[in-house]
Amino acid sequence: MSGVGVAAVAAQVLVVVLGTPLLTGLMRQVRARMEGRAGAGVAQPWRDMRKLLRKTPVTPTGTGPAFRVAPALLVATTAVAAALVPLASTATPVSGEADLILVVALLALGSVALALAGLDTGTAFGGMGASREMTVAALVEPTILLAVFALSIPAGTTNLPRIVEGALHEPARLASPAGLLATAALAVAVLAETGRIPVDNPSTHLELTMVHEAMVLEYAGPDLALVELGAQMRLTVLLGLLASLFAPWGIATGASAAAVALGLVLFAAKVAMLGAVLAAAEVFWAKVRLFRVPELLAGSFLLALLAVTSSYFLGGV
Amino acid sequence: MSDSVFTQLLDLACGAFLLTAVVVLWRRELSVIVDVFALQGVALATVPLLIGWHEGRWDLAAVAAGIAVLRAGILPHLMRRALTATTAPPHADEDEDDGASYGTNGPYGTASWDRTDGAHSPERTDRTDGTHRYRADAGEARETQPLVNVAASLLTAALLTLLAYAVSRPLIALDPSPATRALPVGLAVVLIGFFVLTTRRRALSQVVGFLLLDNGITAIAFLATSGVPLIVELGVSFDVLLAVLVLQILTTRMRTAFGTTDLDDLRELHD
Amino acid sequence: MNAHASALWLCAPVAVPLAVAALYAAARRRPLTPWAALVSPAAVLGSAAALSSSAAGGGAVPALGGLLRADALTVWMLLAVGAVALPACAAGPAYLAGERAAGRGGERFVRRYQVLVHLFLGAMCTAVLTANLGVLWAAVEATTIVTAFLVGHRRTRASVEAAWKYVVICSAGIALAFLGIVLIHHAARAAGVPEESALHWPTLLAYADHFDPPVIRLATALVLLGFGAKAGLVPLHAWLPDAHSQAPAPVSALMSGVLLSVSFMAVLRCKAIADAALGTGYTRVLLTAMALLTLALAAGLLLGQRDYKRMLAYSSMEHMSLIALGAAVGTPLALSAVLLHITGHGLAKTVAFCSSGHLLQLRGTSRIDGIRGLLAQAPALGAAFGLAVLALLGLPPFSLFASELGIVRAGFAAGLGGPTAVALVLVLIAFGALSARTARMLLDGRPVPSPTPADAPSFVPERPEGSRGEGPVAAAGSGTAGSRTAVLPVAGARPPETEARPVRLGFAAGLPLVLSLSACAVLGVAAGPLTRLLAAGAAVIGGQ
Repeated sequence: MSGVGVAAVAAQVLVVVLGTPLLTGLMRQVRARMEGRAGAGVAQPWRDMRKLLRKTPVTPTGTGPAFRVAPALLVATTAVAAALVPLASTATPVSGEADLILVVALLALGSVALALAGLDTGTAFGGMGASREMTVAALVEPTILLAVFALSIPAGTTNLPRIVEGALHEPARLASPAGLLATAALAVAVLAETGRIPVDNPSTHLELTMVHEAMVLEYAGPDLALVELGAQMRLTVLLGLLASLFAPWGIATGASAAAVALGLVLFAAKVAMLGAVLAAAEVFWAKVRLFRVPELLAGSFLLALLAVTSSYFLGGV
Repeated sequence: MSDSVFTQLLDLACGAFLLTAVVVLWRRELSVIVDVFALQGVALATVPLLIGWHEGRWDLAAVAAGIAVLRAGILPHLMRRALTATTAPPHADEDEDDGASYGTNGPYGTASWDRTDGAHSPERTDRTDGTHRYRADAGEARETQPLVNVAASLLTAALLTLLAYAVSRPLIALDPSPATRALPVGLAVVLIGFFVLTTRRRALSQVVGFLLLDNGITAIAFLATSGVPLIVELGVSFDVLLAVLVLQILTTRMRTAFGTTDLDDLRELHD
Repeated sequence: MNAHASALWLCAPVAVPLAVAALYAAARRRPLTPWAALVSPAAVLGSAAALSSSAAGGGAVPALGGLLRADALTVWMLLAVGAVALPACAAGPAYLAGERAAGRGGERFVRRYQVLVHLFLGAMCTAVLTANLGVLWAAVEATTIVTAFLVGHRRTRASVEAAWKYVVICSAGIALAFLGIVLIHHAARAAGVPEESALHWPTLLAYADHFDPPVIRLATALVLLGFGAKAGLVPLHAWLPDAHSQAPAPVSALMSGVLLSVSFMAVLRCKAIADAALGTGYTRVLLTAMALLTLALAAGLLLGQRDYKRMLAYSSMEHMSLIALGAAVGTPLALSAVLLHITGHGLAKTVAFCSSGHLLQLRGTSRIDGIRGLLAQAPALGAAFGLAVLALLGLPPFSLFASELGIVRAGFAAGLGGPTAVALVLVLIAFGALSARTARMLLDGRPVPSPTPADAPSFVPERPEGSRGEGPVAAAGSGTAGSRTAVLPVAGARPPETEARPVRLGFAAGLPLVLSLSACAVLGVAAGPLTRLLAAGAAVIGGQ
């Protein structure tokens, strides 16, 4: 229960909550520049949130508690996940409870909350978005579980900080077939879970092609700000998870404040780089038709399963 | 080369080998499938190279070079030729001159020729100089609905991999070593190849499935016993090459006779 | 027998067909006479005769540093190959002449036919003579490739389909057999067999009791599946009826008589290794299951058969399943019966397919309902076909009666009474189907409408042997070509009765058929000088 550990947790959550709009802004700016536009600037998502927070909250008639609770629940679960995942340090007070399954369950809870809110509105698009989101989630959750599980087999535990520490001490594990397959599977799963191209286009305004956006069509004002923040935070947390598992260098393993600060800075840098690369790739990809999405996700599930089997059988590690 | 480095590199090569087999199941475009198959040939050739380097046997390096040339060079080239032949408009074969002759003037045909066996003709668009030009058939270039859809095939591939691991336990127990521990990968590719052979609808996909089967068996041969005797390896390679040549010619004839290489149309002979 | 002579006799069955193929390929300006094709089967039979004395004593004759080896099984199979290839090659000229008369066979087609047939024979003899399992595999796969263009020699849809299914199914099946051979190699190396003889069959047999059982179980299952595919056993049998019905008749004869048998010989060789390693129970179960399933399928599909070439193909499957059942039993009596059955079936099937080829050229249809009253219209042809089918049905005095009796007796004696009884019932069903259809073809006297008015006489003058044998039934074919289409008679003319003039087979075409049928009958009565060879062959594959 060291002070540095508590500070590390708090700093992780704060950086994620406050820095997420910056990441989103960066990704939009990279995309704009590559498409030949000037872009709105890296701070535009902050400005958007400030605008939204000042508006009057509006709730459609006929919605119940599911609709009202969902934004807060989404942000809350993602913040707790940000506290658990070893983004900057593996020696925090919550390290003992930071289990892989708990983190995936928290993220799933956020998805379910939003899906219920979409159903709660009673509109056609809300229901459509909710059902599509749950289809994707049903295929993605096992993939995330299996991919990280593949990395947990050499470590012998599903505790995330222990897995990251194991990878820090034995980097050769990451270059094994299990590591590479798990990376590929997790990357596809992250794209699907956060609703990026090729699974879903976050900047579309065509309702019939929406997956995530259709669920949140009825939100306005501060609720909309929270929902958008929550969705962006999920991207940050998942990119952070990807970076911690597969490029763990720089994460603090001890109780020194300088190491934690370094860890935070490197975390920000890694996530920014991953986000920029993702945004650049999105310029070249097209959204996959909805009935082909299960093919893509089944493929990533297979990669994750192969990662698990090869880490059991190959190499004797 | 130290043991651990050898194990790691061998595992990487086998992992890439299995991954390419999975991607063949995953993708639909036949040209992509052929390119991925060429990559698998490279991964396969790496296995005897690594084993030879580790054991100091340089004849295995020569075998690896031969395998790379055959399975990553010649065979994909033959299949690409078959692919261009089947996506181009159907015309008479240039390799036979007995039987009915179709009187062709090059790849795009003359204005009139006789079809004696009921194949449907693709669409024509006229050119300004009066000759007809056939539009290439894009539907031929991709795998249409396979017998088992892609998502289910991928899940079946997962089951087949697990089955391969279960079945090859006695094989590994016979002679445990880093190379034999990777045997399940070869067996998994054999099973996936058989699966592709039986569930795909395009002629070229069946050829790819057969070649996956053969690649898997060659991988097992190298991982289990550092290869079969050279004369047998030569015989096997030669046979595979001839088989693919034959299948390529038959694919072209199929396109001419049936108008498509969809294997579901092969329904003439039955009881 | 000294080393040079043994090398000569062992290389001849491989080298002579390859040389003949090369000659045919090279003779472009003046094509070689089709009767030169008889040189290959003669060479095969000659080698078999020369080697039989040393092999019948139980010894083996090696050559080329152990690559080729002739034991009693090899010599018996060479005899079978030669005996089947002789009438098939002798039927070649008639077939080619018929194709030329129908306008389908140009020079290039004839040349390709001869080259491919002799390459096929060379590959088959390599598979029979080699002692290396890998070379055996390569030779069997080579036959698939060589016969692909014989099966798919036309541009029709049926032809392309048959060729495609044949190549894909056989190659896939053979690939599984290769996996089995690789696993045997693995087990052998793990048991200490040195690298250079790890695929040498006699060495493997000697070390077999040291092999690891689970690996050999897996390997044997794969080999049985793979080579069984080439032999027409379930589950990879689907190519057989299509390929046999689409191929030219002499080629169908060769495939049915030679190819299926040589593939089964490969099964027998691997079975010997498996029995030495595992005991006879495992292969017995596998082979019995495959045999009964194939027999059930063949008998069932014979019941509704409408095409006589497919009917003969299913009959081949039926006989291969009986051979498999005999191999499953595994006693010396059963194995001797199996070897006798291989030869007898080959001889009878050759006659059946060759006469069906003549029939196809005569009547132009391969449907059973299209043929009526054959005995009346073409007595020699009908008699040949009928006797061949009688032989295939297992009636005395033909040798298939003796061999089937031997298999059944051995089955009951060895404790496989249940499966043998089931097999007998299925054989009875097949007997009924086959005989009913053949009887309908041969005896039913109702004329099929043939609207030929009084034009060319429909008989063929006898030609002495040694002529080019152009289409003994070709002239008749043009006369009765009209029977292909049911045409309304020309105004005023009545359709003549079909017993106008009987069609004759011709000496050149008929002699090989007569000789084969006689050989089959003689074998059925007494094996004579071949008895020792038969017993030695059975001993080689494990019937002690």
